[in-house]
Amino acid sequence: MVIGESVPMLDSLARVTGAVGYMINLRLPNMLFGKIVRSQSPHAKLLNVDVTNAMQVPGVVAILTGEDLGANAFYGVAIKDQGIVAVDRVRYVGEPIAAIAAESLSAAEEAALLIDIEYKDLPSVFDAQEATQDGAPVLHEKFANNVFKHAKLRHGDMDAAFAEADEIFEDTFTSPVAQQASLEPHVSAAQWDGEHLTIWTASQAPFMVQKSLVEIFGIKPDAVRVIVPPLGGGYGGKGHIRIEPLVAALARKTNGRPVKFVLSRAEEFVTVTKHAASITLKTGVKRDGTFTARQVTIYWNGGAYADASPLLVPAGMVRSVGPYRIPAVHVDSYGVYTNLPPAGAYRGAMSSQTTWAYESQMDIIARKMGWDPLEFRMKNLFVSGEHFATGEELHDVHFMECLEASAKALKSTLPKKEGKHGRGYGVMMKSTVATSKSQARLKLMDDGSVTLYTSTVEMGQGGHTTMAQIIAETLGAPLSAIKVIGPDTAITPFDSTTSASRSTSMMGNAVIAACGSMKEKLLELGAPLLEAPPDELRTENGFVVANEISISFGNVLKRNNLETLEEAGEYSTSLGIDPETGQGIATPHWHQGAGAAEVAVDTETGRVTILRYSAASFAGRVVNPHMAQLQNDGNVIFGLGPTLMEEIIFDGGQATNPNLADYAIPSIRDIPAELISVCIESDKGEMHGIGEMTLPPVAPAVANAIEDAVGVRIKDLPITAEKVLRALKEKSGR
Amino acid sequence: MILKVNGSRYEVQEGTRTLLEVLRDDLNLVGAKEGCGIGMCGACTVLVDGKPVSGCLTLAAQVAGKEIFTVEGLVEDGKLHPIQQAFIDERAFQCAYCTPGFILSAFALLEENPNPSEDEIREYLSGNLCRCGSYQNIMKAVVEAGARLNKR
Repeated sequence: MVIGESVPMLDSLARVTGAVGYMINLRLPNMLFGKIVRSQSPHAKLLNVDVTNAMQVPGVVAILTGEDLGANAFYGVAIKDQGIVAVDRVRYVGEPIAAIAAESLSAAEEAALLIDIEYKDLPSVFDAQEATQDGAPVLHEKFANNVFKHAKLRHGDMDAAFAEADEIFEDTFTSPVAQQASLEPHVSAAQWDGEHLTIWTASQAPFMVQKSLVEIFGIKPDAVRVIVPPLGGGYGGKGHIRIEPLVAALARKTNGRPVKFVLSRAEEFVTVTKHAASITLKTGVKRDGTFTARQVTIYWNGGAYADASPLLVPAGMVRSVGPYRIPAVHVDSYGVYTNLPPAGAYRGAMSSQTTWAYESQMDIIARKMGWDPLEFRMKNLFVSGEHFATGEELHDVHFMECLEASAKALKSTLPKKEGKHGRGYGVMMKSTVATSKSQARLKLMDDGSVTLYTSTVEMGQGGHTTMAQIIAETLGAPLSAIKVIGPDTAITPFDSTTSASRSTSMMGNAVIAACGSMKEKLLELGAPLLEAPPDELRTENGFVVANEISISFGNVLKRNNLETLEEAGEYSTSLGIDPETGQGIATPHWHQGAGAAEVAVDTETGRVTILRYSAASFAGRVVNPHMAQLQNDGNVIFGLGPTLMEEIIFDGGQATNPNLADYAIPSIRDIPAELISVCIESDKGEMHGIGEMTLPPVAPAVANAIEDAVGVRIKDLPITAEKVLRALKEKSGR
Repeated sequence: MILKVNGSRYEVQEGTRTLLEVLRDDLNLVGAKEGCGIGMCGACTVLVDGKPVSGCLTLAAQVAGKEIFTVEGLVEDGKLHPIQQAFIDERAFQCAYCTPGFILSAFALLEENPNPSEDEIREYLSGNLCRCGSYQNIMKAVVEAGARLNKR
């Protein structure tokens, strides 16, 4: 029994000695240093980009501009709208216009100052709803109203359902642009050998990077090798494709010398962001406390390029309805271009924004109707066997247990201090990737060592340790004999991506399949040696075991004249919803989480202090309790950032606070005095990811607790002291 | 000029480079890392004469001749320092990009104050950021490390 044990991360020693081989440590022979020259205009025609003076700087080897790009100058996960560097036009402040490779970073930086760029400014638009209005500046001519994606969910007769309602609530909730802010920035290095490209990159999606580079450069998949060392945090910001095309395109001009880019903190803020969102919920309820209908309208600010948004906007649609029984639901989820940096996945992707909306409105409804917010939720939460607005049946549903578990921790007497303390709750329901595939390859050597080749990215979540634990239990091998290698697309088999909390389930099942095949082989090979039929044998701690005798895996191989034994496993799902109606199966598993907050509000300053927080996620079966607790805790703490403090503030499209002084993220002083983590397990024992489940409930749980404490409702994140104070003043008429 | 790092003396080129650049690029001591470049995140924390400083804000020339200590100096005779062991035992990291900085801040704290209260620990470590949010376990690790060091 290794699953369920809190073994330390496999490379713990490296993690406490500073020896983890992050991308920033990578040094290659003859390596050049890269620097990006970025747009200072939010929207402009590029009249001229003159690199003459920059090329004269000693040490400059190559400069890439839009002129160098051929037919495949544009890339994107779903819409190829983003130039590798800008071609003829820029659409946000910070957009790459040129990239320099030099012998030293200082030479590259000096050259960057000498590139002359002539802009002809165009009108800009920064707000998503404004961008959809007639007469707004158009960013991409193909999309006349700047809407690049409109995802629709149509379920039930809305007019009839709203007519049945006793009360109809309509509220709009907003979230601003925020940043993933992994401490390790985006780092990539590329080197060409003829028509073969090797790219080392801090990415959550090595095979997406490979596919994209294959398309851009028109080369075969096996000509692109993507190597990903452990990440210093990802949180969605390193998902999909980011700077890799630029790095590879510049490296193509350096005669085979490698070029490495390390983005600065300021560059991080214009490379990928969390979608700003405006979400309007119109919800019909009956006096008996049940729902009749919900209409959801969402504007996602995608920034200047679609990036991953065409995939995320439909995901955000199904994630906007909430975990409650509602007979009629319509959702319109719009992905909109604006002159801001492109948005991408942000831990708890899209659910962070949608849960903010639907869980805030739950309390607004409950308070107006005179119901207890907790009881109102419990009355309406889904249970197994019910059907979601997509029409799909829900399985292994544990919303109530999650909410009960997190609420229980706050059940003790509420400290009352002149009514300034309050409690609030939040529940969330999140899909994972509907169609995806994971493959795993397992190699046993004749010394009994087991190597897993996997493209799951280790980014701090403990993905590699999790897989090793699954092998130890499923194959019956000692944990100490197991090594995990990858991702390296030349060596490790396919995996869609390390995101959406999918690895434990998807890669976990691929690993289980590989272990199953290997175990079967070992029993077959061991049977004649142990003089017993395979079905009377088992494996344990690296041995094939019969009733009275056992033989080590290594000796099973040696006695069969085998040096190695390799087996592969695969797990995939192929699901999805109809693009016009949103009907179908949105996900192989619905992620479930809840949170309960107890806050104190200082009515003199508006300052909110989180006194206690309790978070619960549904894990199915916990692989490693300590790592699960770290994920739950980490989600709450990460979530407190956008809840209380995080917002990129733009002025004319220019980020004004792109640094960790003016854009604060939670420190050890910002965490609740008491933080409790609970993982809910199920009889079915299926392993599910828990990388995000306790994050989205944080913001609404805190806002709901604030209203409970002082009777004001904040609908726009982040909940700063200023906003609370203003609301308190408005309430008291001061 | 001479830099004294982890008890060894290194001849390094004079110039305007930061301590962090010299440690990483010249001395191959890569435990300290840049996170923000402005002394806010603590990922580049090293000790100078026992005090934690941001390697990204300190010019190497400013600390010539002083005692510089990095995470690489903590392992003695192949044995982890009790703070490092406590970080493993309490699972006080996830991506671990910030971990060397936290360990060195904790080291300086426990040298200064062998019996810190939780408030004192929070105050002392507030200049080190962990985006993965492992703070609860970091707190446990520092308390545990303090207890172990006091027993030595």
